Amino acid sequence: MRPFCNREGLRRSRLMTLLTLVLLVWSHVANAETPRIATVDWTIAETLLALGVTPVGVAQTDAYREWVGAPTLPAEVADIGLRAQPNRELLAQLSPDRILISPMFSTLKPSLERIAPTSTVALYTPGSDLWTRLEKATREIAAFVNREERADTLLASLEAHLAELRDGLSDAAKARPLLVVQFMDARHVRVFGDHSLYNAVMQRLGLENAWQRETNYWGFSMVGLEALAGLDDARLVVVDPMPVGVEERLETSALWQHLPSVRRDDVLTLPPVWSFGGAPSARRFADNLTQALHEAPRTAAHREAPDA
Amino acid sequence: MRDWISRSLPFPHVVMTPARLCVLLALACLALSGYSLATQLPAAQWAQALFVPDERNIDQVLTHYSWLPRWTISLLAGGALGIAGVLMQQVLRNPLAAPTTLGVATGAQLALLLATLFAPGLLVLGREWVAVAGGGLAMGLVFALAWRRGLAPMVVVLAGLVVNLYLGAVSTTLILFHQEELRGLMVWGAGSLSQNSWDGVLYLLPRLLIALALAALMLRPLAILELDDVNARSLGVSLRHLRLLSLGLAVFITACVVSVVGIIGFIGLAAPAIVRLLGARTLPQRLLWAPLLGALLLTTTDQLLQHVSGALPTMIPTGATTAALGAPLLLWLIPRLKLGGDRPQTAPMLAAPRRRHPMRLQLALGLALLVALAASLLLGQDGQGWALPSWSVWQATHEWRLPRTLAAAGAGTLLALAGTLIQRVTGNPMASPEVVGISGGTAIGLIGVVMFVPDVGLPMLLIAGTLSALATLGVLLLINRRSGFQPERVLLTGIAITALFDPLRSIVLANGDPRTQQLLAWMSGSTYYVDTVLAVAVAASAVILTLAMQSLSRWLDLLPMGNSSARALGVNVDRARLVLLGVVALLTAAATLVVGPLSFVGLLAPHMARLLGAARARAHLLAAALLGALLMVLADWLGRQWLFPQEIPAGLMSSLLGGAYFMWTLRRL
Repeated sequence: MRPFCNREGLRRSRLMTLLTLVLLVWSHVANAETPRIATVDWTIAETLLALGVTPVGVAQTDAYREWVGAPTLPAEVADIGLRAQPNRELLAQLSPDRILISPMFSTLKPSLERIAPTSTVALYTPGSDLWTRLEKATREIAAFVNREERADTLLASLEAHLAELRDGLSDAAKARPLLVVQFMDARHVRVFGDHSLYNAVMQRLGLENAWQRETNYWGFSMVGLEALAGLDDARLVVVDPMPVGVEERLETSALWQHLPSVRRDDVLTLPPVWSFGGAPSARRFADNLTQALHEAPRTAAHREAPDA
Repeated sequence: MRDWISRSLPFPHVVMTPARLCVLLALACLALSGYSLATQLPAAQWAQALFVPDERNIDQVLTHYSWLPRWTISLLAGGALGIAGVLMQQVLRNPLAAPTTLGVATGAQLALLLATLFAPGLLVLGREWVAVAGGGLAMGLVFALAWRRGLAPMVVVLAGLVVNLYLGAVSTTLILFHQEELRGLMVWGAGSLSQNSWDGVLYLLPRLLIALALAALMLRPLAILELDDVNARSLGVSLRHLRLLSLGLAVFITACVVSVVGIIGFIGLAAPAIVRLLGARTLPQRLLWAPLLGALLLTTTDQLLQHVSGALPTMIPTGATTAALGAPLLLWLIPRLKLGGDRPQTAPMLAAPRRRHPMRLQLALGLALLVALAASLLLGQDGQGWALPSWSVWQATHEWRLPRTLAAAGAGTLLALAGTLIQRVTGNPMASPEVVGISGGTAIGLIGVVMFVPDVGLPMLLIAGTLSALATLGVLLLINRRSGFQPERVLLTGIAITALFDPLRSIVLANGDPRTQQLLAWMSGSTYYVDTVLAVAVAASAVILTLAMQSLSRWLDLLPMGNSSARALGVNVDRARLVLLGVVALLTAAATLVVGPLSFVGLLAPHMARLLGAARARAHLLAAALLGALLMVLADWLGRQWLFPQEIPAGLMSSLLGGAYFMWTLRRL
């Protein structure tokens, strides 16, 4: 019985060796095809991860985990320091094949060029449609890591997913225009309008954005709570995280309590999503929003019942 | 003065008085407010909206819970700051003392930043209490620093400015590393009057009434403070307690306002100053008119802003706007204020030992600089920890460390030289190139470029920085030409220009534009963006200028003796001051382009050189230059290693280290 077992064990170990070899060669080939990328921009980092590429270095990894969250940044990714001032000695030591930056860090380009070819990927460009830019930026990033097909699948599946979500939405969910806000403190919010990621996703979902006023470079307006009061129809969508203490203060804020959406008790609260993100953030926001919309009418109806 | 203002108005025969100005402003304010209320709500519903708003009518709700509380709180806050300003100016006998110049506002802001990051539970208990505690502690620090000098006005103001700069540096460091967490506080820091219930008003009103009652009780003893120290003491008044009490009251008022609506610049400074210019000479008069004027100024500005900013995607916070509007007014006021410029200097030069052989000191400093340079170039961390010299380290040294080290050394030298010049010209050991405003002016230009030009590169930044530095110099010269470049006035002009820089920064930060990261990094003084060419240029000009500066040493030895002595010894005082100021401006501009507007080196290096015994101008210049280079190189190196791989900019690092040292010496002054 034993020799038998041994022979089988031997065969198995040979198989394992062969398998390991194949894997090694395959991964080597794959590695040769996938350049090692470092980036200072979180949106580029999340897009890379969504394309199945782990960057070698990302700026402020701890803050990425806190503010972008998903896709999860593996532990082996090196922290290369502040986004505006990545540590060049460390970058040089990591010797990436390419460094990706966004236009907002363009002052870094000349000096980063000395470490590795540095390319700029623009997502937020004034005067262009954000969704078109997002698709283009995703493809640009994919081209740098030889993942063009993966980008096509990613975008196609995102498009299909959004269409599916859109069709799944009831008329009741679409009835009210939405007002997507993020709280800065108890008196001020960012309202996301034209040229923001949230707005682009809402358009794709066939949802109306109640905020039609002019927005800044990043697609939001910074306003006091009173600016939200005129929009009677709008349903408020609050994107977490709430700053500490704001919820308590809103309890006693007369204006907040009198906002039509709060009075109707149809305010939606969504888990945090990186508000300046790319395709992965868009997908998560869409999921969060539609899920909240699906759950909301029931609760709203439930609460309105005694009134009526 | 009064006549001058009246003559510049359309009715030259009408003498402008505080009462008339207040009536004019009140009319304008009422008209604006009425117009804005009318666009919001039909006049027939005003009374209802005020007392019992129809909860179903959103316009009435808005008027009752947002518009009216905002209008009320702007009146209250403006009035409160006016009272605080009068008290501070009275106690310090300085027409330019103000709540924001004494560290209260920055202290409150820092406390809130720290609480947000490390003890968010405190914020639930009450943001206002955190702010009051921070403002109180900052003011306490100012008091502690000035205590030994019996809270002498000049020392208190200087301590306040230094504490302000220092706490500002700590806040900037925190913001740099925690931008996302702290974005809400940026709005507060810029002073937004936006309200959404009556809570703020109900918080502020009783506290103000108590403060006002206390101020009224202190009227008589406070009036005695107008006499000088000796006379007041002979009347049997405990100066120290009186000052402490009235300053404490002013701090309490300021902290209450700051905790409710954030940092409102300029009102506390301008309202009392304008009222005094218009003829309100006695304390009761000023205590009556300054709060009124403050309230009207703030409310009118806020009403105007609500019209303007309604259509904009960016928020323009009122507090920062009043500060931005206030700076030009301050610049206009300075040549017209009676500052007692001919009085002998109250802040004495430091009594320091004088060395027989300054050469030994220079040699020791030179040696220390060499050691620091070697450490900065050779010692550093990589992904695995501290790395010993090896091939990769050599590469890093050549490629990355050399330019930064050279630039730090060069910029430190330039700032130290500028500081030495300005301290000797003004005869004031607390003066510094930062205070002259060139740094602030350069920074304003750079902010403009980064915000309004997309994809801006380094060459563009350099050009913009140089141009704005020169423009600032022009403003400095223009304003001070009439006064013959009196030292105090030059310093005040500088502070006013720096005061213009702060609100711009606040507005940019408040809007949470992600580009602020880059701006913040530059503003905190980093050698990061320096390339080899620039570094060599800065270092070479530092060496050349240190040597060239020696030819100015005669002026520098004679000017501190006072105008008449210097003139008697054959110095053309005005021309000498003009030349020296020009040199200071150029030195500061060059250094600012490299390490940003924030650093204590220009203040610290000449000061330390003097403490170490370099008394004559020649030795002073050389020792300060070496010390400046040494400090900046150390700051740069420490900043790169401390939080590796994140880097603390050299300017911030030197502020943190140097500021602490400076406060220590100030305490013993």
